[in-house]
Amino acid sequence: MRHTFDGVDKLVIGLGGALVLVGIVVLGIVEVLDGPPYGAAPLTNDAGDVVATTLVDPNVRTALVVLGIVVLLLWGVYRMAQPTVEPGETREEAWA
Amino acid sequence: MATHTANPFSEGFTLELSGPLVGYWLGLLRVVTGWWFFHAGVTKLIEDGLNYAYGPVFLKGMAGTSLGPVATFLGTDLAWLVKPGVPLFETLIGLGLLLGVLTRLAAVGGAFFMTLFWVGNADFAHGVVNSDLMGLLLFGTMIVFAAGRYFGLDAYIEATDFVKQRPRLRYVLG
Repeated sequence: MRHTFDGVDKLVIGLGGALVLVGIVVLGIVEVLDGPPYGAAPLTNDAGDVVATTLVDPNVRTALVVLGIVVLLLWGVYRMAQPTVEPGETREEAWA
Repeated sequence: MATHTANPFSEGFTLELSGPLVGYWLGLLRVVTGWWFFHAGVTKLIEDGLNYAYGPVFLKGMAGTSLGPVATFLGTDLAWLVKPGVPLFETLIGLGLLLGVLTRLAAVGGAFFMTLFWVGNADFAHGVVNSDLMGLLLFGTMIVFAAGRYFGLDAYIEATDFVKQRPRLRYVLG
């Protein structure tokens, strides 16, 4: 079983993690800097009328996070499907 | 790969705690958890400054809970500290976790907050295991696995001579 990461692994999990962090943290910072509402829901008054909306649609943020999780899930499947690489053996040799 | 005939899953499902995936995931968890608290704190600072009046009200409302005496003491006698303390400490805890600085100390603070939220917020309509308890366990995870050592500044701080000469500082770093 291979426990080290090569360039492909790092690229894919980096992409997955980046999508999660962009959806949660980066766009969260953008929302705070944009002013109220600071959360991910529209601001309403006592009558229930929307008085301010978010800059970024929360559906966009959740979609980014879900996409990141899907990338990580697919990477896990890819790792599972790989043949065992013994010490001293290259991946190409293992696939052969 | 040799196959263990008695338990064919014994090798295929091995979790190596030193593996790169563990560091990756702990780093990701730390940053997201840090943002959670930083956002909660900094938005209170923007809206209420250092006078978060709901803090003492929340604590006094915990009178009938298992932490009742402690919470009411905090909400009544230490209200002067709670009002600025809630936004300030939430922000600092979040910042510590985001950057991975004094991670364990920050996570202890986060666990303290989550304990109060868990006991004070919930009506436990769906049982005692709820999202507040999960948040509390998340901070415990940060402490146990020293999450600041993975993509955090604590990894560099712990490598300094100052910390090497005072290894007990790693109880609050890491």
